Amino acid sequence: MEDSEPRKRFRDPSELSFESSFLRRCILAAYWVVVLLAMPGWWQTTSIERLSLPTSQVLAQAKREISFPLNIYLSSNADDTDLNALSSKLEQLLQTRLSGPVSVRASKDVPVSPDSGSYSVKLTGEPGDELSEDGILLHHWDTSDSTATKALADKLTALLSPYADTHEREHVVSKYASRYRIAFTLLNEDAASGKSALSWEIRKALSLHIRPLLKRLESLHNFTIESQVQYHAPLAFSPSVVSANGSEVYGLTPEDLTVFVNSAEWTLSSGVTNDPVLHLLLFVPSPSRRPLHILDSAGVLTTSHSFILPQWGGVTIYNPPADMQDHFDLTARQLNKIVPIFRNQLSSLLGVPRLPKGIKAPSPGCSVSSWQIDALLRRRTVENVREAQQTLESIVKLVEQIENMPVGKDVKQDVEGALRALDQAFDAATLSPKLAFDHSNDALTLASRAFFNPGMLALLYFPPEHRLAVYTPLFASATVPLVVAVLREFMAWKKQRKAAAAAALQAPRAS
Amino acid sequence: MVHWSTLPATLLLYILGTVAATRPETFKEELTLRPLRDGKVISRFSFSTLLEGGVPRNPEKIDAGNIPQHYTLFPLALGQVLQEYATTELHLSLNAGKWDYDRWGYPDEQEVGTGAQLWAWIGDGGSSSVDERWKGLRNALAGLFCASIGSLDEQRTTIPKLAFAPEGDLPAWTLPHQLRHATLPSETVCTENLTPFLKLLPCKGISGIATLLNPHRLFGADWHGMSVHVTWHAERGVEVRLAFQAVFDPVRLSFDKKRDWSLQSIFGRPIGKACPVASASRIVVELPTNEAYSIDPQPSTVQDGKAIYDTSNIESELNLALRWPLESEFVYPLDPASQPPSPLSVQRTMAGTSQSRGRLSVSIRNSLPSEIQAVYLETMPWHVQFYLHTLKISNGGSARDDLLSDIAYTPPVPHGRPALFESVLTLPPNSTTQLEMEVMKSFLRYTEHPPDAQRGWDLPPAVLVPLADVLRAPVNGSEPAGRRARIYTRVLLVDLATPDFSMPYNVIIMSCTLIALTFGMVFNLMTRRFVVVRLKTGPVAENAAEEKDKSI
Repeated sequence: MEDSEPRKRFRDPSELSFESSFLRRCILAAYWVVVLLAMPGWWQTTSIERLSLPTSQVLAQAKREISFPLNIYLSSNADDTDLNALSSKLEQLLQTRLSGPVSVRASKDVPVSPDSGSYSVKLTGEPGDELSEDGILLHHWDTSDSTATKALADKLTALLSPYADTHEREHVVSKYASRYRIAFTLLNEDAASGKSALSWEIRKALSLHIRPLLKRLESLHNFTIESQVQYHAPLAFSPSVVSANGSEVYGLTPEDLTVFVNSAEWTLSSGVTNDPVLHLLLFVPSPSRRPLHILDSAGVLTTSHSFILPQWGGVTIYNPPADMQDHFDLTARQLNKIVPIFRNQLSSLLGVPRLPKGIKAPSPGCSVSSWQIDALLRRRTVENVREAQQTLESIVKLVEQIENMPVGKDVKQDVEGALRALDQAFDAATLSPKLAFDHSNDALTLASRAFFNPGMLALLYFPPEHRLAVYTPLFASATVPLVVAVLREFMAWKKQRKAAAAAALQAPRAS
Repeated sequence: MVHWSTLPATLLLYILGTVAATRPETFKEELTLRPLRDGKVISRFSFSTLLEGGVPRNPEKIDAGNIPQHYTLFPLALGQVLQEYATTELHLSLNAGKWDYDRWGYPDEQEVGTGAQLWAWIGDGGSSSVDERWKGLRNALAGLFCASIGSLDEQRTTIPKLAFAPEGDLPAWTLPHQLRHATLPSETVCTENLTPFLKLLPCKGISGIATLLNPHRLFGADWHGMSVHVTWHAERGVEVRLAFQAVFDPVRLSFDKKRDWSLQSIFGRPIGKACPVASASRIVVELPTNEAYSIDPQPSTVQDGKAIYDTSNIESELNLALRWPLESEFVYPLDPASQPPSPLSVQRTMAGTSQSRGRLSVSIRNSLPSEIQAVYLETMPWHVQFYLHTLKISNGGSARDDLLSDIAYTPPVPHGRPALFESVLTLPPNSTTQLEMEVMKSFLRYTEHPPDAQRGWDLPPAVLVPLADVLRAPVNGSEPAGRRARIYTRVLLVDLATPDFSMPYNVIIMSCTLIALTFGMVFNLMTRRFVVVRLKTGPVAENAAEEKDKSI
């Protein structure tokens, strides 16, 4: 009897405005809209910044090869030679031997323009070939010799492309760096046993022999020089005993030479810079192991007392005279025999080409001719360009392969800068080898900086699965009700449509 | 860069370099052995190399490029560091153990604070600031000595005004020199630090006195420490002094409980060969007084109770031995020494059990009959903060505020800069002065804790520098004048609040769950349909609820 009372009090919930199914569906839709709108934001904030690199440009650039046009000006002392005919013949010969474009022109007055890849050859009647102080090749010209043109072409090829026939020496040359540290070390195997070198007058010897070479190479590298003396530099192995001329001597086999430098005991490394170091060592064996010689692969004594460790430095062994009784100091005069070996090792390590046989240097001794410097400059440019191209190619490939690798703005800028510098180097090659070299150096610096950018490693080892795993408690429990609600609403809507259809079917019948 | 360029300044430098080609470098080595009353033996190695006429690099000329460096005896690796960062004076010490001033007296090598300590006087000016070069310097030294000196960062670096005066001269450049000082008490010393140390010596560890630096024995000593000092003296040049100090216990090493020792028994090897380039090389043994002893072999000279051996020429192996032939077994002396080994004795403790507050108390005993003035320096990492207003000083139980003067205090910056407290104390004669201060322990960030967070934090030693030279007996003639003695207190261990390190994950999971719950509730409320279900009236329905919500 009280039953009807509450029934009247309660309104039917379906009649309430907020209970209408339209509103409910709106609310549900609003949730989904928020979720879907948030998706791009979430994607944006959790994705790794990967700017697009100029891949096609890099790949196109990697195929290019730099070449330097060479201009040779011929002049002659004697007027009876037909320079024009000789020029064209020489040009034909040289073009088959040199990779780049060559032009040979006859010219009365010798043009001197050092920075533009042009060279002057003067034919003289005097015997012997010589490079003059101002960079002119004075060539002995014998009109009666039928092979004279070919001989001149051979000479020029050897001067202009000196690296073509020395592939086996190629690995000796240290990789290009704009700054080098050159460390001279006097190593006494065991100074405590006596008869060892306690000091050396290296400064004088260096300023006499090494300084002119380094000064000539100033356009390519900056050098820092240092020297030290060590009194205990034990070898990690014992040299073998060989008998020569009836006396016992000590010998280093080729295998010994590869492990000669005992880097664990000899403090040679530098802790303050990342510049590459070229070490030049003077090794004084202990009195009990003198004299120490270098053996060839057959175990026979060689006359040489020095060897080069490719891209690392050079070692010279100094055996003091046997009648030495006490400790001694190496004077500048004694060093005058040793430091030229250092100079030769250093020029090999730095890639300075040797003058072909039969050509005299402008001044006897240390100076390097401008033909050699130019050849080195061209070689380093080609190397740098190739290196920069390869580095850029590897960056692009690496970024393509590793999808988690971030590519920041600075990497992109460096890559673009390297490409620009490479283009400039190619453009400058026709004008001046020095300019092209400078640009190629810039390109290499930028490309390596981009390759070693620490930002590229940031998220390499932090996979997205980890981030998802941590937030699963949130995502899972929030998405399940959302999905279920949609399904439920969909079922209700289908049911409603069915009911409406049924009602519509019944309605005409009823009417 | 090579300095044959046309720049006049660099050319001048080069010419200076060539002129100095004849400048001599001298190397001296000395070993001092001092037997103590309690049977222990203090050994101290000192290797000094003097680069005569050498001048520290002016930082204003750093941009001019590197100067060629040519050395024979001077260590090139250290020379490169000094040149690269234009450092005038440098002191680095790496010690392990606690130096017991009350039993061992004042050490010959005064830098005995536990852990690593680095201080340097660096010239100002040039393109790179003092702090940049200080950073480079400590990283370079960290690499050179294989030690964690690189972590002596801004959070550890202080600039005390009085306690660390330069020990050499400072060149008069346009801008003054600046001091940087940092300590790392938790750093330990071991073989990996000794190996690079030996490589800086001209004779390495192969000949001369350095032969005795045998890591197997040195690092088993009761106390061991090494130090590197670079100073410049206007009239002499740049001096590098490498020192190693260790306290051995021959009684512990011997089988028959005797305190007799020899080089072989302490260091495990005798000296076989002399270092050919040492201009002076000697071993000094302080002889016991009022006791019967025998020393073998006979010393070259005996002077002021010290036996001196010249080791610049060694014909046969030298195995120095000191014996007490009348003693069958060493008996530890129980009676106190007639005169305390150190006139000043400092005790520092951290009291308090809570993880948020504590009390630092320092007691300094002056056993001299005269009043002493001393600089007291306390550097604290920022996570221990002083309440300076609670600072109390008392002498013999009564408060004496007048004993404290010239207080300089640099407050800490959390996560940035350490605190520095420096003041001058007046220590009345024959009494104990007590200093007390409340400290607050900070709450660290999760990532700032060390890997072994539960162990606590080592606090650097406090330093006491008497203004009058009262600590050293006048026997140390080799010590340069003007150097003030320093006393280091022991390090402290402070316990800071440590979190549960799985906390971040717990927090993430917990908050995710809460958000998910809230979301679910709100979402359900908003999308749920409420309907009225009418039940048939009946006996059962009477009890049933009139209305209930039901979701479809």
